[in-house]
Amino acid sequence: MPFNQKPQKFNAKINTVKIGTGDKAIEIGGESSFPFYSFDAPVPVTQKVGIEITDGGLEAMPECIRAYYDGASSMGDIARKAASFEGVDFLALLLDGGDPNGANKSTEELIAIVKEVAEAVDLPLVVEGCKNVEKDAELLPKVAEALQGRNVLVMSEKEENYKAIGAAAGLAYDQIVGAESAVDINLAKQLNVITTQLGVNGAKVVMNVGTAAVGYGYEYVVSTMDRIKGAALGQNDNMLQMPIITPVASETWGVKEASASEADMPEWGPVEERGIDMEVSTAAADLAAGSDAVILRHPKSVETISRLIQALA
Amino acid sequence: MAKFVSIGERLSATAPSVNKAFMERDPEPILKRAGDQLKAGAVYLDVNIGPAENDGEDLMKWCVKLLQENFDNVPLALDTANKKAIEAGISVYNRSKGKPIVNSANASDRIENIDLAAANDAIVIALCQAEGICSDNDERMMHCQNMLERGMGLGMDPSDLWFDPLFLVVKGQQDKQMEILEAIKMFSDMGLNSTGGLSNNSNGMPKHIRPIMDSALVAMCMMQGLTSAIVNPNDTRLMETIKSCDVFKGNTLYADSYLEL
Repeated sequence: MPFNQKPQKFNAKINTVKIGTGDKAIEIGGESSFPFYSFDAPVPVTQKVGIEITDGGLEAMPECIRAYYDGASSMGDIARKAASFEGVDFLALLLDGGDPNGANKSTEELIAIVKEVAEAVDLPLVVEGCKNVEKDAELLPKVAEALQGRNVLVMSEKEENYKAIGAAAGLAYDQIVGAESAVDINLAKQLNVITTQLGVNGAKVVMNVGTAAVGYGYEYVVSTMDRIKGAALGQNDNMLQMPIITPVASETWGVKEASASEADMPEWGPVEERGIDMEVSTAAADLAAGSDAVILRHPKSVETISRLIQALA
Repeated sequence: MAKFVSIGERLSATAPSVNKAFMERDPEPILKRAGDQLKAGAVYLDVNIGPAENDGEDLMKWCVKLLQENFDNVPLALDTANKKAIEAGISVYNRSKGKPIVNSANASDRIENIDLAAANDAIVIALCQAEGICSDNDERMMHCQNMLERGMGLGMDPSDLWFDPLFLVVKGQQDKQMEILEAIKMFSDMGLNSTGGLSNNSNGMPKHIRPIMDSALVAMCMMQGLTSAIVNPNDTRLMETIKSCDVFKGNTLYADSYLEL
């Protein structure tokens, strides 16, 4: 019997969100089919890959990544170097040094770094806060202000601080708002509802619905992303049609598979390979589950995932 | 599953103020009622211009244009016994937000409204009734089959025939209520869409009772597989019930603010 292909058509699509300005600006989202299902409907833009650096600079990097930044001394140097690696679509700056329970850097100190990085590169920028809800409520509005005109993605508002961050990034300074929930599909939707009720344009919101490193309760990540895309496309739920960005690196580089030294775990092999493997497997799974963009740290991971996306496009 | 389709019933010539606005082509009261219904969550608006024997064509055209121009091409159910008026309405109808609904055909004197819908790529409400109220579900389902076959024979997609079991008033026909619910289940088991004037059940009851009865019935109907109803969307209790049932049925994803959407 001949094979009759029946495309799965949806009368709905994910919002297309532009990040950055000028020639290097990127678009994410826009799809009206499940991830990589280009046989069902044309996919207008491919998924994007970002490289992540932190305010901690070279010192905060695992040794195997630091080697790639040889010769860089300032944050500007690091940013330029990061932007030069193959497959990099955007630059993500993680301000984890702002955490009051960690380095507790001041907002002023961090904003100086943000400005230095922004001046060094013309790639689209994603700026991530320190995850502490009070500190981020103070820090991220300043980030949005400092980068006015660059159309950056500010990550992230959460349920606890969405008013301060959503209003500053989405209303006052016309940036893109990252809405973060932790693998909770109902909260992901709710955050989009209350953010748009603030007056923020839903077409300028990107979701981070959470992730885990593969092997660490990862099944919930898949089902969450899958159900979000299912409702966004199948039920035309416009409160779930925001594209998804997933910060992979901050999850994968902390787990023991990526960090235990070869001396401690000789049977696991070289630590660098393991770190890349964790990052690549998690990112590939996130993309297959519905992420429209992923954030990675190792240049080799960025290159690998970027080639995967091109090959499947 | 798709979300329940609420068809707002408040633009009806049976309401004296609406009838007056229709006659005088006065947009104000019509736009007000339409806006109130859409704000409350109506998906379609029913436009009941009555028998409209004299100027039905002109009136329906005027209504369709007025409502679609002011409310982003809101989808409409064209409700009149005047076939020419329905055709005239469709001739100026913009279907970007949904096909027009022909309201309605039945199994006897109004069966040709199915032909009208088929010829115009419209949805048709197919009332499972011929002369008088059906004596049982065998009769209801016979009408359903006949109308389904007629529509399909004319090239209609079965999903464009929305079957109406004819909701009956509790005060007088309480013993028929479960039968109607069973008919809805039969439509649903056949994969068919269904709708109807659900609030007819509470006709003649005190005003404060009606929302309670309507809400209870809509929940039972949705459990049976009813996919739409012609209702008063400004009945808050009813709309809250519909939205809640949509959550239970998995038709919408729950969020704490679901009642505000």
